Amino acid sequence: MSIKAAPLHQKFITTNFWILIFFMLSGAGFAYFRFFEGFGSVTNLNKAYPFGIWIAFDVACGVALAAGGFTTAAIVEIFGREKYHALVRPSILTAFIGYFLVGFAVFFDLGKYYNIWHALVYWNGTSVLFEVAWCVMLYLTVLGIENLPNVVEQFKGNVKLPGRLASFNTQVDWMLGKADWFCRKTMSFFVIAGVVLSFGHQSSLGTMMLIAPYKLHDLWYTPLSPLLFLTSAVSVGIPMVIFEGTLATKFFGRKPETELLGSFAKYVPLFLGTYLLLRLGDLAYRGVLAQAFDGSVQGNSFLLELALFTIPYFMFKQKSVRKSGSKLFLCALSVICAVVLNRFNVFLIGMDMGPNWNYFPSVGEFAITFAFLALGVMMYKVGVNYLPIMEKEH
Amino acid sequence: MNIDRRKLCKLGAVAGGTAVCSVATPVLARDEREPDPNWYGMLNDSTRCIGCKACQVACKAENKLPAEATLGDAKVFGTPIYDSPRELSESTYTLIKMHLDVESKETTFVKQQCMHCVDPACQSACIVGALKKQSNGAVEYDADLCMGCRYCMVACPFSVPQFEWHKAIPSIKKCTLCSESRLKKGEPTACATACPAGAITFGKREALLKVARKRIEDNPEIYLNHIYGEKEVGGTNVLYLTKPKVQFAGLGLPDVKFKAVSGLTESIQHRIFQYFIPPIAVYSLLGGIMSYNQRRKKNAGQTGGDDEY
Repeated sequence: MSIKAAPLHQKFITTNFWILIFFMLSGAGFAYFRFFEGFGSVTNLNKAYPFGIWIAFDVACGVALAAGGFTTAAIVEIFGREKYHALVRPSILTAFIGYFLVGFAVFFDLGKYYNIWHALVYWNGTSVLFEVAWCVMLYLTVLGIENLPNVVEQFKGNVKLPGRLASFNTQVDWMLGKADWFCRKTMSFFVIAGVVLSFGHQSSLGTMMLIAPYKLHDLWYTPLSPLLFLTSAVSVGIPMVIFEGTLATKFFGRKPETELLGSFAKYVPLFLGTYLLLRLGDLAYRGVLAQAFDGSVQGNSFLLELALFTIPYFMFKQKSVRKSGSKLFLCALSVICAVVLNRFNVFLIGMDMGPNWNYFPSVGEFAITFAFLALGVMMYKVGVNYLPIMEKEH
Repeated sequence: MNIDRRKLCKLGAVAGGTAVCSVATPVLARDEREPDPNWYGMLNDSTRCIGCKACQVACKAENKLPAEATLGDAKVFGTPIYDSPRELSESTYTLIKMHLDVESKETTFVKQQCMHCVDPACQSACIVGALKKQSNGAVEYDADLCMGCRYCMVACPFSVPQFEWHKAIPSIKKCTLCSESRLKKGEPTACATACPAGAITFGKREALLKVARKRIEDNPEIYLNHIYGEKEVGGTNVLYLTKPKVQFAGLGLPDVKFKAVSGLTESIQHRIFQYFIPPIAVYSLLGGIMSYNQRRKKNAGQTGGDDEY
C-alpha cells in the first residue's frame, strides 16, 4: 500500500447531520407504534402480503447492495488487483453498515423480536431462512473483524479515554495490540470466509420465494433463482462502490476518483454479461418470455428491470463512459436500480398472494426505512471522519 | 509466467462456475413423505354442506375467538352483530363461503381451514421449527418458539396461517385440528361435531379416504371422481369432495400439483450444504487463487500492477 488512509476529521455537525437526525427521529416515532401498538397501526401489511418494504428493501436490497464489500475484497485481496486497494476499506465499511442495518431491519420486522436468538438455538435445517440467518450473522461478524484493523491502526498506542475511563488506557491498548496480532495472523482466512458466506446467503435469498410456486410469477419463479441472485449481487458490487465513492467525494468535498473508479468499472460488463446470459437463457429455456409482453404490471416491471440491467452493460463497455464521472455514476445507478427492482419484483410485485388484496407501503413503513438509511449514512459519516478509511487524495 | 497465470485464472473461473452451477441447477425433488396411518383428518363433503355456519360458531366457541364485524355493522349498531367474515383471519380459523362456479353456474358452500398437509410447507419454511406435524396428524404451532417472521404465510399454498396485526406481541393463528383441546380427550373436532348436515366427517385419514371413495362409487352422479387432498401438494389430512360439474378450482381450492411445494427449496438447500462440500470447495478454490497471487507478489517484490483479465 503506497498511500496511507487517514481519518477525514472534518466538521461533523453540518446541515446534513441535522437532516439525518430528522429522518431518524421521525422513524423512531413510528417505531414506537410498531412495537407497542402492533403492525396494523403503522404498516399496510396484510394477510396476502405478509412481507412488505422492510423485507423487500431493507433486507433483500440491503444484502444485495452490500455486495460491494465482498466483490471488492475478492478482486483486490484474492485476485490480487492491488491497484484498487484504496476502494477496499470504504467498501468493507459500507458492507458492515449495510449488514448491521439488515439485522436491525429484521429486528423491526419480526413479530416476536425478542425471540431473534432462537435462530441460533432452535435449528430447522429445511428452512431457507435458517441458512440466510446464519450466513448473515456470521458474515456480519467477519465484516466486524475485517474492519478491526482500521480501529487498531487509529488508536493503538494512542488510547486516550476521557475522564475516569482514562485509568483503563493501558488495558484497552493491550487489547488493541492483541486484536492487531489476531488480525494479522488470520485476515486471509476471514477475507475468503467473507466471500464464501456472501455466496451462501446472496444465493439463498434467491431460494427463499421458491417455496411459493403458486404465488410467485413465472418470470421470476425459476430453479436458477439462487444463481441469478448471486450473479446480480456480484454485478451490483462495483456499481455500489462507484455510487458511494462518487457521493462521498461530493459530500466530503474531495477530489473525484473518476480514473480509479472508471478503471474498476471495466469488470462490470463481465459480471453483468454473465448475469444477463443466465437470466435470458433461463427465460428462453422455460419458454416464459412471452409473459413479459402481456401488458400486465408484472410484465412491464420485468421489462423495466431488464432494460436497467442491459443498458449499463453496453455503456460500461465504452471507454468514454468510464472516463466521465457523471456517466459512470448514472450507469452505476442504473445497475443499482435494476437490482432493487429485481428484488422488489421477486418479493412484492411478482407475488400474487390471492385476489382482493393489495399492498403499498404506508408512510410509517417509508419513514422507518428512511430512518435506517439515515442511520447508515450517519454511521458512514462517523466511520470516515474518525477512522482511517479513505486514502489521502492523490 | 503471465500467460500461465491467466490460464490458471480462467481454469479457476471455469471450475468455480461449474461448481456453482452444479449446485444451483434444477434438482430432483426429494423423497415424497408418506402419510402416517394414525393421522387424523376431516372429510369436507361440499355436496352436503347447507351453509349454516354452525361449524364456524363451534370453532369460535372452542377456541374462544372474538366475533368479527362484517358489512360495517359495528359502525351502524355500535357493536358487531353479523359474524360473517370474508376471509380467514387471526380470529377466524374456519370459514364457510359460497362459491359460484363460473362454467356450470352452480353455487356451493365450502368450508375453509388449515389443510394439515402430509408434508407441510409451513413446517419446512419455519426458521425455528415452531410449526410441526404431530403424531396425531395436526400441524401445530408453538407460539413460544416463533420469531414472527411470517415466512409460513408466504410458504403455505392455501394461505392459511394468519398473523395478529393489531397486537404488540403478535403470534400466528390457525386451525389446530382441536389437537390439544379435544383430540387428546378422544373427541372429534368441534366443527365436525357441530355439523348438522353430515358434511364434515372426522376420522383417521385412511378411513376417510375409504369413506370418500365409497361415496363416489355409490353415487357417481352426485360426485366428481376425485378426492381433493389425497395427492394435492403431497397430500393433506383435510379432504374434499365436489359435484361432478364443479371443478375444485370452482370451490376456491387452488389448482395445485401433486408434489409438495417445499421440494425445490429443500433440494437446493440440501445440494448447497451437502456435507459442506460445495462451500469448502469454493473456499479452497479462492484460497488457492489468493495464495498464488500473494506468492507472485512476493516474488515480484513489488505491489502488483493491474493486468487485463
